[in-house]
Amino acid sequence: MSQVWAVLVAKFRIAGHLIASVRNESRLKVGVLSVSALGLWLGAFFLLHAGFDFLVDFGGRSNAEFNFGDLLMSRLLSILALAVFLLLIFSNVLVAFSTLYRSKEVVYLLHAPMRFEHFFYARFLESVAFSSWSLAFLGSPLILAYGITANASVFLYFAAIVFFIPFIIIPASLGCLITLLLVRIFPKIRLWNVVLLGIMVVALFFLYFGNTLRGTRIAEDTLLPAFLDASARVQSPFFPSHWASKGVLAAAHYEFRESFYWFLTLTSSAMMCLWVTGAIAHRIFYMGWSSLQGQERQRIKPMGAGILGKLERLLRTIRNPQRALSVKDIKLFWRDPTQWSQFVIFFGIMAIYTANLRNTSRYFEEEMWRSFIACLNVGAVTLILATLTSRFVYPLVSLEGRRFWILGLAPLTFRQLVWQKFWLSVCTTSLFTVGLAILSGYMLKLEPIYYWLTVYSVIITNFGLAGLSVGLGSLYPNFAEDNPARIVSGMGGTLNLLISVGYITLVVGAQTLILQWRVLGRYANPDTFWYALALAVLFITVLSAICIFTPMRLGLRNLNTMEF
Amino acid sequence: MILTDNLTKRFGQKCAVDALNLNIQPGTFFCFLGPNGAGKTTTIKMLTGLLHPTSGNAVIGGFDIQKQPVEAKRLLGYVPDQPFLYDKLTGNEFMQFVAGIYQLPETTYRANCSTLLEMFEIATVADQLIEDYSHGMRQKLTFAACFLHEPKIVIVDEPWVGLDPKNIRFVKDFLKKKTREEGLTVFMSTHTLSIAEEIADQIGIINQGRLLHLGTVDQIKALQENPGSLEDVFLVLTQNNHEEGA
Repeated sequence: MSQVWAVLVAKFRIAGHLIASVRNESRLKVGVLSVSALGLWLGAFFLLHAGFDFLVDFGGRSNAEFNFGDLLMSRLLSILALAVFLLLIFSNVLVAFSTLYRSKEVVYLLHAPMRFEHFFYARFLESVAFSSWSLAFLGSPLILAYGITANASVFLYFAAIVFFIPFIIIPASLGCLITLLLVRIFPKIRLWNVVLLGIMVVALFFLYFGNTLRGTRIAEDTLLPAFLDASARVQSPFFPSHWASKGVLAAAHYEFRESFYWFLTLTSSAMMCLWVTGAIAHRIFYMGWSSLQGQERQRIKPMGAGILGKLERLLRTIRNPQRALSVKDIKLFWRDPTQWSQFVIFFGIMAIYTANLRNTSRYFEEEMWRSFIACLNVGAVTLILATLTSRFVYPLVSLEGRRFWILGLAPLTFRQLVWQKFWLSVCTTSLFTVGLAILSGYMLKLEPIYYWLTVYSVIITNFGLAGLSVGLGSLYPNFAEDNPARIVSGMGGTLNLLISVGYITLVVGAQTLILQWRVLGRYANPDTFWYALALAVLFITVLSAICIFTPMRLGLRNLNTMEF
Repeated sequence: MILTDNLTKRFGQKCAVDALNLNIQPGTFFCFLGPNGAGKTTTIKMLTGLLHPTSGNAVIGGFDIQKQPVEAKRLLGYVPDQPFLYDKLTGNEFMQFVAGIYQLPETTYRANCSTLLEMFEIATVADQLIEDYSHGMRQKLTFAACFLHEPKIVIVDEPWVGLDPKNIRFVKDFLKKKTREEGLTVFMSTHTLSIAEEIADQIGIINQGRLLHLGTVDQIKALQENPGSLEDVFLVLTQNNHEEGA
């Protein structure tokens, strides 16, 4: 096993050097990143704490012998544990394909006189780390919030840490095993097949869950029994997530024997899973890898053919170099399954949101609620938009990366480049979000004033959020990274997301204030309302202009002074 | 065609290029030689505008690369040693993209594209995604794209990596023909001294950021009492300088 250890030591050293390199970063960058991470963690904590408090209040007196809220909380934890377990399997399938078959290190390690089993163990750790780090980050406020609300003992936190490792090893092993089998059975499988399969599995899970709750409404008393019935099913003794939640909760209640029992069950299963996956990897990894390398790789894309060809002809009215840059950006996006698969997920969220609006309007007959729901609708649509721009628009400049010699050598200015990215963002995101705003307004049967204010707010935020994402993407580019997901998770990406959310809050807040005051009858006469509304629209417009021009100017200045 | 005036680049305390003065005439095949870390790539990056000089300036075809970058870049073609291309585009699409960013007229693009793809023997794979290309095919595509806009000056950084002997011969002859017959100026950084000896009109030797010698192959060889090949002279010159530096 010393070979595995050698690889792991090298990986730890690389991680150490990466952490040490923070010293060379600007203090502002490190400060913003630290504050952003802390803000995100605290935000998650307070939100979860408030949610658990609500459940306890909902369940009756907190000092009662039986609190119904406790039952709800433990059921909720079981559901979360199972959902996380399934998501970890899904993410490990994707990450394992990259770390076991696609990474540049694979060829180097396969040249070494190393058993395939040991190769697998060496790469497995990286797969686990990549797929599970966010669980540690976002799971910690959840456990802390639960512990404080439930007045749990310190053993809850201790048990959560101890149970964490075996808990993540099981889905990681299963995810790797699925990938190994898929590659071996379907040697010509493409990444997008794996992605589609994963999406189908997740969709089936949600379909099953949605089906269980079908026919229930928030206002009706059938919801709770249906929820309890459905949540009881996730507490099956066959689910490792159930072992983990039972073990952690037992430790919190000083039932150490039971907790230890669940810990041993979880750990022995984790070790068994890892051993079985390692043994299977030893037998089938090389055959799968070899088949993957040996497949015919002549993907022919004739010029002007297919949807992209049609789109290209449609863009002929745009002048070069903007047209060439836009066509290139669209093609690169379209041909990268990891990009559009996430886009499909966003599209699915939009579809679910719109479909659910159909039945919502009948619950809000009072004007106060109609006004409030109109503002919330703007918030929902613009938040989807902010997620789109943060995930897909922000990395556009960074993705030029090591190919910057092509653009850097071309007779075009950075001004042309960043404004092309801006307009590409506005045109593509507007297609979806303005459509969503119109559709959601129609579904909610909004009155004209709310309807047009919704449409205007969504149009203007398309510009503001594009300015923020392109501008900050140019201010904090990461040219060393080719993976857009990793670019987004950096300091600049986090800052962009936080500022985008702040901007949306101000936009939605301004119109909510004006509209709710009208409903509450705070205006002395109707004219005052119209003046206030005009002021709100002006405020939103000026704010959006600031969000466009300030980051764009700073980003442009950064690119102009940058060295490649 | 290429003029540098006290071109200097410092990275903190380290001086990567120290007051470089060059004056390369149109139609010259200039070879820039030097050991690893001598300052060749830094010089190329300053000439192409990818790096800002600490002091001094570089003029390309009469245009200062820092002050008039767009005008200078219209005249410039560049072939890097590592051809990072857009993997998800096909060869044809990449050529079309390059034509777009150089704003070439449609007729020029069509005529030049097919000629160059044929010439570099990649026409048959031009509809395949670049990610399926071998290193040599990528390098040939980079050459084809470099000549698409008919540059007056071409800067080439170690172009022979990944090319097979037949293609090395082809590229060598192609560049030589372009300089002799069409007045193209070539600035080439290379470690393949035998090729430099064969085709260079002028040679510059740089070491530790300083230009040691500048002249024709014969002038450089004459620096030694018993000149052998350019390689022998180069090794002696750079070794001496290294010892002096130490």
